[in-house]
Amino acid sequence: MAYVAIADRDHEQHLHDPQTFITKYVWSQDHKVIAIQYGGTAIAMGVIALALSLLMRLQIGFPDTFDITPYQYYQFVTMHGMIMVIYLLTALFLGGFGNYLIPLMCGARDMVFPYMNMLSYWVFLLSCIILGISFFVPGGPTGAGWTLYPPQAIAPGTPGTDWGIILMLASLAVFIVAFTMGGLNYVTTVLQARCRGMTLMRMPLSVWGIFVATILGLLAFPALLVAAIMMLLDRTIETSFFMPALLMAGEATETEGGSPILFQHLFWFFGHPEVYIVALPAFGLVSDLLSTHARKNIFGYRMMVWAIVAIGALSFVVWAHHMYVSGMNPYFGFFFATTTLIIAVPTAIKVYNWVLTLWRGDLHFTLPMLWATGFIFTFVHGGLTGLFLGNVTVDLPLSDTYFVIGHFHMVMGVSPIMVLFGAIYHWFPKMSGRMPNKTLGTIHFWMTFLGTYAIYLPMHYIGILGMPRRYYAYGDTSFIPESATSVNEAITIAAIFVAVAQVVFFINIIYSLRKGEDSGPNPWRATTLEWQTPQTPPKHGNWGNTLPEVHRWAYDYSVPGDEQDFIPQNHPIKPGEASVEH
Amino acid sequence: MFTLLFIAMCFSMVVAFLLIRRLQEKPWTQHGILEGSQDGLTSSAPRVGLWAFLGVVTSVFAVFLGAYFMRMDSTHGGAALPSLMQMSSWAPVEEPWVLWLNTAMLILASIAIQLAHGFSSSGRGRSSMRRYFNAAGLLTMAFLIGQVYAWRELYLTGDYGVSSPAFSFFVLLTAVHGLHLVGGLVVWSRAASRIRRGLDQAELSEVAALRQSVQLCATYWHYLLLIWLVVFAVLLST
Repeated sequence: MAYVAIADRDHEQHLHDPQTFITKYVWSQDHKVIAIQYGGTAIAMGVIALALSLLMRLQIGFPDTFDITPYQYYQFVTMHGMIMVIYLLTALFLGGFGNYLIPLMCGARDMVFPYMNMLSYWVFLLSCIILGISFFVPGGPTGAGWTLYPPQAIAPGTPGTDWGIILMLASLAVFIVAFTMGGLNYVTTVLQARCRGMTLMRMPLSVWGIFVATILGLLAFPALLVAAIMMLLDRTIETSFFMPALLMAGEATETEGGSPILFQHLFWFFGHPEVYIVALPAFGLVSDLLSTHARKNIFGYRMMVWAIVAIGALSFVVWAHHMYVSGMNPYFGFFFATTTLIIAVPTAIKVYNWVLTLWRGDLHFTLPMLWATGFIFTFVHGGLTGLFLGNVTVDLPLSDTYFVIGHFHMVMGVSPIMVLFGAIYHWFPKMSGRMPNKTLGTIHFWMTFLGTYAIYLPMHYIGILGMPRRYYAYGDTSFIPESATSVNEAITIAAIFVAVAQVVFFINIIYSLRKGEDSGPNPWRATTLEWQTPQTPPKHGNWGNTLPEVHRWAYDYSVPGDEQDFIPQNHPIKPGEASVEH
Repeated sequence: MFTLLFIAMCFSMVVAFLLIRRLQEKPWTQHGILEGSQDGLTSSAPRVGLWAFLGVVTSVFAVFLGAYFMRMDSTHGGAALPSLMQMSSWAPVEEPWVLWLNTAMLILASIAIQLAHGFSSSGRGRSSMRRYFNAAGLLTMAFLIGQVYAWRELYLTGDYGVSSPAFSFFVLLTAVHGLHLVGGLVVWSRAASRIRRGLDQAELSEVAALRQSVQLCATYWHYLLLIWLVVFAVLLST
């Protein structure tokens, strides 16, 4: 096919080359800088949440030893949960990796709306600051639990009903504005800025995961926004959206007839898709890690894409499985249990395909690969306990126990974090031009992997034993044996161990940034476009003068008859290859 | 609950439907560049971005209206709610007459902006385009003033306090819709000032950019009119 190269496309996308330090690194419109700003902020928030979880564990493991009040305990629980789910995981996967990878993997120069992208980060930072301020206001941050159920979230008696809850709701609303600005960019960039030859079905699964997760976010976050606005009004001007008629300290309140259950519906209408907003990017990224480091094409690429789309669609009709204990109609329970179990089908397809990608592959146990295989273990583990909890009759007795804590930390805490560390080690060479230190990374992996198992596996057992969650202290309760108390001590020690392991990660990053080996442009010999940039780390505009052209899918690893075990996406067709060109 | 479920089904179908045609390709069997495949950043990107945003707007209003219906019928599937919660305090709002006038204003604004768009794409009659575009903005401002007047009317009757959920929802829905229009007016004022600075001397590429922003404004206005009609219909029927 005759094709005239388009040498310079600057006339189509204004490149706004940064001139000063400020425009280059602070008020930057470059997606790669914004990605690192997003990532750094999210990780800093994560460190705060990690510290909170340690304080919580110290109280549960060794009650009466540390000077932690019940009020503080509930504040730690609440802030830990909210920060981890929204300000760390959502922000890091979509704001961090979404920003970094979408333009590079699609062969674009930048996001479609760079200015809005910059704004997205700064508004996100504002939401983090608002949340941070709530630690220092009178009454402290809210202690309503990360689900913020009314009426207790705004009724006196709960920690942080003065200012904490107001700042929390405001911070969430601001976060949603930030996410919407970023999300519109991600979706439009994937749809409208792919380079020549990059069809949707040639996109790496990372982009697919992030793309579908962003669509979910754009449709689901409005439910949280609506709930936050309505609760903010209930709290500040005493409307009755969620507040029923109440007797408080013997006196009837002004509110009447509001529906707390309505809040639960709205919250989980956002809350369940949120699980997949975090999980789908993780699925995508881990697929690319496994394929690259097993030197094999991903098993069942089409099925993987379909599964991502199917999970995304199904995730909107399962939310009430978080509400089995709200006294809902048994027929609804039946409906939501069914949809919940159906979602296990595409998820299981993905797990099988990951395992089959490894099967007889040329496995290289590099750092990213360690974390990616670790993810398969933790995800299967967490997924299987999800099947228990998806059934109404099993969920009812287990719902308020440590079994649930074990389940969701395994499936949506540890598993995405495994992928995040794998992805950070995988793309670190592209971001910095240096290799991460393998010894430190391996120590980090084994401490984290074994440590998190030591934390969450026992929780399933004490959960089945009936140990209730959300309790500040257990005291002398007859149904909690001595052994359960010892298990709690052990879990706390394991938690400290895992926290120490994260110090190794930061040491590794700082050390490798300064002294790491030079990585070259493509250290993992990967096929996707981000490894084919003219410079490493890629310069502003990513591709020099000419945009890349894509001639093949993202998974041409170990192609029979080829001298190398990978063929990058932008390599032209070779003689004898099946072709669509004439 | 059913409302929310229905919204959810719609979302799922939209997501699946948009993608389903393209998902048949078998990328591993075909190498090379397909004829007519996309070639870098397309000129329709702002349009796609706007439609994605309208998707978010739809979601916001769908969830608000879902909450409205669920709050109206406070039992919504809960079998064992304590009797306190079931005691409904729903006293419907009597819509002020001014809403009809406001609706007419917004319809006129939509028509005006469509005419402006028509003149901008035909290339002739630039002064008519400017006139209609300005008229659309002014009509929208009149709509917003009318909405505030409606709140005042309701408030002055003294029948509705903050604890009246129907009134709270009325204010909330109209306020959120109004805020979207205010956002639209910010974009409108920027485009209008660019038009005022003189289209005649403008470069050709600049004219194309202006034409596109008028077109995007028109889409946004029509969509917000549609949302207002739905919200108004729901308010009237309950």
